[in-house]
Amino acid sequence: MNLRHLFRPATALIALAGLLLLTSAPVLAADAGDDAHAADPAHGTAPAVQGYGDTHGAADSHAASPTFLQSLGYSYLTAFLFCLSFALGGIIFLIIHHLFDAGWSVPVIRLAEHLACLIRPLTVALVPLLVLQDTIWPWLSISPASDHSLDVKKVLLNRYVFNGLLIFVFLIWNCIAFNFRRYSLAQDKDGAAIWTQKARFLAGWGIFFYGPSLTLVIILLMMSLQWQFFSTIYGVYYFAGSLWLTLATLYGLARYLSTRELRPVLFPRQVHDLATWFFAFTVFYAYIAFSQYFLIWNAAIPEETFWYVDREKGSWWEVGLLLLFGHFFIPFLALLRIDTKMSLPVMGPLIFWAWLMHYTDMTFNVMPVLWKNGLHVTLFDPLCWLGLSAILAKCFWSDYLKYPKWAQKHPRLQEAVTHHEIPASQTAAE
Amino acid sequence: MSATQTRPVGLLAQYETPADLLHAALEVRDAGYRQWDVYSPFPIHGMDAAMDLRNSKVGYFTFAGGITGFFSGMLMIWFMNKFDYPIVVGGKPLFTPLFAFPVSYELTILLGAFGTLFGMAFLNRLPKLYNPLFNVDRFRRVTDDKFFVYIEAIDPKYSAESTRSLLEKTGATAIDVVED
Repeated sequence: MNLRHLFRPATALIALAGLLLLTSAPVLAADAGDDAHAADPAHGTAPAVQGYGDTHGAADSHAASPTFLQSLGYSYLTAFLFCLSFALGGIIFLIIHHLFDAGWSVPVIRLAEHLACLIRPLTVALVPLLVLQDTIWPWLSISPASDHSLDVKKVLLNRYVFNGLLIFVFLIWNCIAFNFRRYSLAQDKDGAAIWTQKARFLAGWGIFFYGPSLTLVIILLMMSLQWQFFSTIYGVYYFAGSLWLTLATLYGLARYLSTRELRPVLFPRQVHDLATWFFAFTVFYAYIAFSQYFLIWNAAIPEETFWYVDREKGSWWEVGLLLLFGHFFIPFLALLRIDTKMSLPVMGPLIFWAWLMHYTDMTFNVMPVLWKNGLHVTLFDPLCWLGLSAILAKCFWSDYLKYPKWAQKHPRLQEAVTHHEIPASQTAAE
Repeated sequence: MSATQTRPVGLLAQYETPADLLHAALEVRDAGYRQWDVYSPFPIHGMDAAMDLRNSKVGYFTFAGGITGFFSGMLMIWFMNKFDYPIVVGGKPLFTPLFAFPVSYELTILLGAFGTLFGMAFLNRLPKLYNPLFNVDRFRRVTDDKFFVYIEAIDPKYSAESTRSLLEKTGATAIDVVED
C-alpha cells in the first residue's frame, strides 16, 4: 500500500473538518449548553419500558433540539453513505463484468476500477464516524436490559461487533477493489490471460462476500439509526440505489471521454448500453423500494410501520413523494425511448438529477431520526456532501491521469472494439 | 395461382456473402430507393444503418398497451372493491393505488406484450400467406446460404434497365424478374 496515497485524502478530510468547525463556530457557541446536556448518555435515553410505534428511545431525545455534534454527525453520515455508493457500485460492476466474462464493457472497466478504489479514501472517511459513534447511533448508549428490541438484536447490535465488522468489511472491500485494479494493470504490461483468470476467481468469492457484507454494513450504518426497525430487503435497497448512481456516473464519464482519450475503444453502442443498464436499475430500485413499502404497509405490524410513519410527518411526506417521482417516474419516462439514451440535453441533466435524487434518498433514510418534524437543511449538509464528493473526485481524477486510460491488453478488447453496431435511431439522427 | 397473365413487380438480386449484401444495401440506399428490402438467413450487424432504417414504430404500440393495462387494472380494482361491492378487508381503505399496484403492474406487462406482438403483426401486415417472391425458385435458399436484395417496381426510381445495371454493379451473382 502506498502510504503517500493514503495520506492525501486524510489531509483533505482534516481540511474539511477544519472548514466545518470554522463555518459553524456561532452554532457551536449557541449549542454549548445543550452539548454538555447531551454528553450524558444516561439522560433521557432509556425509559424503563420501550414501546414500539410511539416512542423510539433515544431518537426522541434527539428530536427536542439536535446538538451541534449530532447535526454534524448526521450530515456527515448522509454524505458518507452517498459517496460509499460510488465505490460499492464500482466493485459490483467489476464483479459482474468478470463473472459474465463480458466483452462489451471492457473499455470502461478501468473507470470502474478507479471508482472501486475510492474505497480507500472512504475507509479513511469512516474514521470520523467511528469517533462520533455515540453521538450518531443512539442504541450504543442504551443498555439492552432496558430495551426489548435492542436486547433481541444485541448479537449484532453491540459496540464490538459494530466496530469490528465495519473495520473488517472495509478492509476486505479494499482488498477486492485493489486486487481488481492490480490484476488489470499487470495485464496492461504482459497481456497474460492469467490476470483475467485471477480476476474471475476474485469475482467468484467476491460476490458471495459482497452481498452479505453490504447488507450488514448498511444495517449497522443506516438501519440501526432506528434499531427497532426490521427490513430484510434494506441492504438490497441501498445496493439498487448505489449501482443506479454509479451507472449514471459511468455513463457521464464514458460519454465525455468517448470523444476524447477513450475515442479509439469506446463507441456510441457501449455508451448506449450503459444507459440501458441505468434504465434497468431505475426500474429495479423502484421495484425494491415499492416492495419494501408495500409489504410493510400490507402487514401493518407496528415494529415496521413506525419507520414509515416517521417519514410521513411534516415535510418528510413531500420528500417521499419527490423520491417517488424524481427517483423513479422522471428518469423512467426520460429513458424509455431508445434515442433519448444518447441525447445530451436529456442525459446531461439526468446525471446531475440522479446524484441529487440519491442524496435525497440517503437524507430520507437518515435524517428523519434527527429532524422529526420535517426536512431540515443545515449548512453541514452541502458542506459534507460537496466536500466529501470533491475529495473523491480528486482521487478519481488523479488515478485516471496516472494509469493507462483503458485495459490495454484485455483478451476481450478486440471484441469490445468491434462491438459497435450503432442503434438505428442514432444514424438516422446524424 | 392460376395466373393467366403475369406482370413484373420487381427485381431480385442474389449475393453469396453477408458482406456483399451489406455493401449492396449501401449502394441501393445511396441510389435513393425507398421500396426495397434485404433477405438473409440470419441477422446482420449494421444492416439497419446500411438500409437507413429508423427506429421501429412497435414501441408506440407497446407503450399504448402498457398504459391501457395499468389504468384498466386500477379501474377494475376500484370498480370491484370500492364501487360495485364495497367491503372492508383487513382494515384497509376501500381503494388505494397501493394494493391495486401489483395487479395493474401485471396488466401493464400483459397488455404491453400484446401491444408489441399485435403492433408488430399490424406493421408487417401479417399474417400474409402469399408473396410474389415465392415464384422465384432460387429464393428458397434464403433460409440456407444465400442473400438477396429485392427492389419493388412501385419505387419511383425503378426502371427495368437502370435498376438492373445498379444491381449488377453491386456484384449480384444472379438477377431475377419477380412476376405476379
